[in-house]
Amino acid sequence: MAEPRSPAPVPQTPVGIPSEGSMAVEMDPVEYTLRKRLPRKLPKRRNDVYVNMKTDFKAQLARCQKLLDGGGTGGHREICIHGLGLAINRAINIALQLQASSQWTLQIAANTSTVELVDDLEPEDPDEAGEPLTRTRNNSAIHIKVFYPDPQG
Amino acid sequence: MSGAKNRMRNKKMRDQPGNVTYSSPGWRNGGETSAGRAGEAQHVKGHCLPHQGGGWVRGHQSGGSVYPQELPKYITSSYFARARAAEVKAMLKAVNKRTGSCHTFGALPKHMRRRAMSHDTKRLPTRLREGAQRMLEKSLLTGKKKEESKAKSRKARRRHGNLLLEFNRRQRKNMWLETHIWHAKRFHMLKKWGYCLGDRPTFKCYRACYRAMSSHCLLQDLSYYCCVELQGPEEELLSALSRLTSKDAGPTFAAVQCLSGRRQGSVVLYGSDQYPAQPLGPVLFLWRPRSESSTDRQLWIWGHPTLKQDLLSELRAVCQCSEAVVPVPVTVPVPEPTPAGAAEAAAMPPKGPAHKQASSRKRKRAEQDSDAQPAKKIFGDGTRSPTCPVTWKSALTGIVINDLTMEIVRYRLIGPLSHSVLTEALCPATDCDVEAKKRQSCFWWPEHSKQEQNMALHREQTDVFQLLKGVYSSTEIPGGSVLGLTVDDPRLTLPRMRCKAEPDLQQAIGVDEEKRRALTLQGVPERCCQSALWDRNVRDNATDNKITEKELNRMRSELLVPGSCLKPTPPQGRVPVLLVHQPGKQLGQEMPSWGAGWDLLLPKGWGMPFWVPLVYRGVRVAGLQMSVKHSQHKGAPHFPHDFPDCTAGARFQDEQQAELMNKFTRRPPGKRTNYIKHGCLAPFRCPWQQLVEEWAEIVKETGEGSDTQTGVETDSVPPRRFSVLRSRKVMRQLSVWCKPSSSKGQRLQRTTQRAPQPISLCPATAVSLWASHGHSLVWARFSLLAKGRPELHAMVCVPTDEDLRLLSREPRCMGPQEPLHVDHFRKRVKIARKAKKKKGGKAKEASVEQVVGSDGVAEKQDSTSDPSQRPTEQPSSVPALTQTQEVVSTPSRTSDGDTDATPAVPKASVAPSDQDPSASAPGPATEERLVLGLWPEPLPSVTSHCSRVTLGWVTQGDFSLAAGCGEALGLVSLTGLLHALLRQPPEQRGLLLLRNPSSLQYRFAKVTIEA
Repeated sequence: MAEPRSPAPVPQTPVGIPSEGSMAVEMDPVEYTLRKRLPRKLPKRRNDVYVNMKTDFKAQLARCQKLLDGGGTGGHREICIHGLGLAINRAINIALQLQASSQWTLQIAANTSTVELVDDLEPEDPDEAGEPLTRTRNNSAIHIKVFYPDPQG
Repeated sequence: MSGAKNRMRNKKMRDQPGNVTYSSPGWRNGGETSAGRAGEAQHVKGHCLPHQGGGWVRGHQSGGSVYPQELPKYITSSYFARARAAEVKAMLKAVNKRTGSCHTFGALPKHMRRRAMSHDTKRLPTRLREGAQRMLEKSLLTGKKKEESKAKSRKARRRHGNLLLEFNRRQRKNMWLETHIWHAKRFHMLKKWGYCLGDRPTFKCYRACYRAMSSHCLLQDLSYYCCVELQGPEEELLSALSRLTSKDAGPTFAAVQCLSGRRQGSVVLYGSDQYPAQPLGPVLFLWRPRSESSTDRQLWIWGHPTLKQDLLSELRAVCQCSEAVVPVPVTVPVPEPTPAGAAEAAAMPPKGPAHKQASSRKRKRAEQDSDAQPAKKIFGDGTRSPTCPVTWKSALTGIVINDLTMEIVRYRLIGPLSHSVLTEALCPATDCDVEAKKRQSCFWWPEHSKQEQNMALHREQTDVFQLLKGVYSSTEIPGGSVLGLTVDDPRLTLPRMRCKAEPDLQQAIGVDEEKRRALTLQGVPERCCQSALWDRNVRDNATDNKITEKELNRMRSELLVPGSCLKPTPPQGRVPVLLVHQPGKQLGQEMPSWGAGWDLLLPKGWGMPFWVPLVYRGVRVAGLQMSVKHSQHKGAPHFPHDFPDCTAGARFQDEQQAELMNKFTRRPPGKRTNYIKHGCLAPFRCPWQQLVEEWAEIVKETGEGSDTQTGVETDSVPPRRFSVLRSRKVMRQLSVWCKPSSSKGQRLQRTTQRAPQPISLCPATAVSLWASHGHSLVWARFSLLAKGRPELHAMVCVPTDEDLRLLSREPRCMGPQEPLHVDHFRKRVKIARKAKKKKGGKAKEASVEQVVGSDGVAEKQDSTSDPSQRPTEQPSSVPALTQTQEVVSTPSRTSDGDTDATPAVPKASVAPSDQDPSASAPGPATEERLVLGLWPEPLPSVTSHCSRVTLGWVTQGDFSLAAGCGEALGLVSLTGLLHALLRQPPEQRGLLLLRNPSSLQYRFAKVTIEA
């Protein structure tokens, strides 16, 4: 996962065979390897669902449905679906699907937030003089509360 | 009458009464009775019968029917009886006396004999007992040595002193870790690498351990790792060490953040100036932060015990430390008070060894004259002889090498909550009270805390440590961070019940958010990486003055409120520790930083006082088995299993082969897998060298090795030893090439579109790689697409075009099947066995040869060919043969004979291997070692033995709980991998086949090279 530090003057990672063309390119003196850290984890309740892009969509939907229905133990009245970045779309999708399948008895309340992410930049220079850098960037997140409204309300 | 007859007669007559005579010349008729009567008659009558010898007559006489006429008319009973009294007496005597001693039991009739009589004389009838008893004693005395003296009673054995003696005796051969007793009660122990190590718990916890690793905390005792300490000027050290490493393989000892002491680094060491050949193995290293007062630096290198000897000799060579400091035996060890600031002690004079020697001397003595002195518990290395040097120094470079094996305890906590466990179990050292400070103390902490700068540092470290409470996962800390700390004796804050450490929200609120953010971004500040643990004097002081368990309990019992915390902390209850963060999975895209955690470094002797409190915080404890699994989930090679190019790795392979072979031969022959039939050449050991050489041949044959000049070059060069590729640039390039072009990776590439296109996979680049890294193996990960569980030494093969087409037609298909091979050795094994049974000798051998000769037609063809030469054979003679064999053996295999996926040469080399290999087997020497189902030693071509061309083998494989599918790690030939990748369509690039050694089913797997 080699990605340049900045998009504009992209240093190229030289490859096993030094070819003339690659050497001619103007190189950043120090190259870095980007390593993304995991987003910060918060303690998770049982009714929190973190949506990702790797798991099958159907499986995630079924998991939310199961939490609401409750497999024998009585379901939760509300669940929270969290999505970060690319998964926001999917989180919304899941919430809407849940609502639709419940004949609109479920209600939805969405909150957005910004999550700070940390990237590590490790120097790749031959002299090993470069300090490792850390940079932060922000990403959007969504937290959707899917709940049954109070019966009296 | 002959002499023998005479003797016999004499013997017979010995016990006879005197009046019985035996007439020598005349054999007279008449039985004994008649003779006796005759004698009696003579006696009675007092006159001799003329024609009758008046003697003893026996036997049937020819003229026996004629009895003498003069029978007595009457018998006087008294005379009669008196005359026979002697005779009867003699007879009784003969009956009562037993002749031979061995016939005691013979004296009993058969139906009365019992088996147990020989042991228990009381089972014999009373009259025979005495003799039997005598015999028993005699046999005990002569036959066997004396019965061993009776063992001590359990109570005596379990008495503390005796128990310690026994323990010390038992750890003379294999070292025990400090947690040995704890482990031995709960674990299956293994004797490995000179240590007794826990392999796995006796209870079921495989999944639980995985859960602990991925969501809570798993604890391991890694104290068996060997630490080597280097001291000297920084430039000297760096220049010496740079010969052992290469920047090509990643950051070395000189990496900035490691050199400052803020991070722990890891590096693969090579023989001096030998890169990329002769790797030694991976090590962890840690620099001591610079101190103002001294220019000397201190460096710890942690390595696996199998690596230690190589490492030490290599280090001695590059540092020119030939001068071994012979430890001076000191008779009276004085635990001197150490006026030690951590800073001062950086330039530690080499009196360390003497001091250490003192302690080991003490141990030795305790072992020897234990009667006089109470036995001492062994801390540290108990197997080393006290005169064995542990320190080497060099006058030239000023570098001192210290072997710190077993001097420092190392615990590894794996899992996202390991920092919570640490923050709960450890409590930063409390300050000493004022009047205690004024006094001179022989403990290190009161002296240490007298200096204000030390206390300032301690407060800073404490602050950083408290910040950890606000962190939710260990992965938030920058990988490899180091934190020095001084903590209170954790036994004092031991909870009454075992509990589970969880990150506490309430505590987290109290933590300063800004500082926490700084910690996660920048890591631990450099000042806080300093620790008194680096100082040998402090370490020894802490070890020597540890409060014993007994003392501690006494102090607890004197508390006014039972169960309350012991306050104030006794002055000797402070321990310097180092916390070292372990980055989890760093390479690759899946599961980033999985398996991160902390290492806890302690002075020796403090192992158990820290172990139990950690266990009481709800961690799970695992052994060697789990450390293999840990590295498997991380996708990292595990030492020494996955380093076949290191000497330690090669040794491990030998051991593993012997072990697997042993396991195999323990099964009854009928139940063994016939690996020949499964087409598995090397189920127990991977022939890496042969693989690499064969692939080089294949490439050369196809002309893809291109230029003639390179070909000439490789010809002239003697066969190079294979090596594992560790060059990061090449690895990175390969990892890009292994990805299919139309996957998620595409998105990433598009963003970097403006960059000059990275070198794409084309024959030209491949050729240049072959030239530079032709004899390399590549570490790769394979994840199965569908079901299946890869096993150890599963084969990695190249799918044919047909297979790929099949996969794209139905993505969930099982994969192709290997046709069953024919075991040509079977007959020979049988014959050999028969020959052995009959012990016929030479005649049999001849018949074996005959059978081999008549076994098949094919084998005759290249009976002279050596397996190493096979791939170079003329392909022209072979294809026809291949075809026919395929048709005969596998009607199911339709098209792969003429697919163009495997080029001409692999096909050519398929052919000879399909033939009967027995032709290549030499004489009767190998005949002996034939085992049914295993290929005898000169293996045929390993690449082309099966219907799919082999690229490499799996060294770790299992169902991965993390990925939810079968996953394997293994090594493949770089040449072969490129060869295969070049021929695959771009959207299906990186698809390979895996096949277990005992199965015919190939399964599709995706190859990932993580770099």
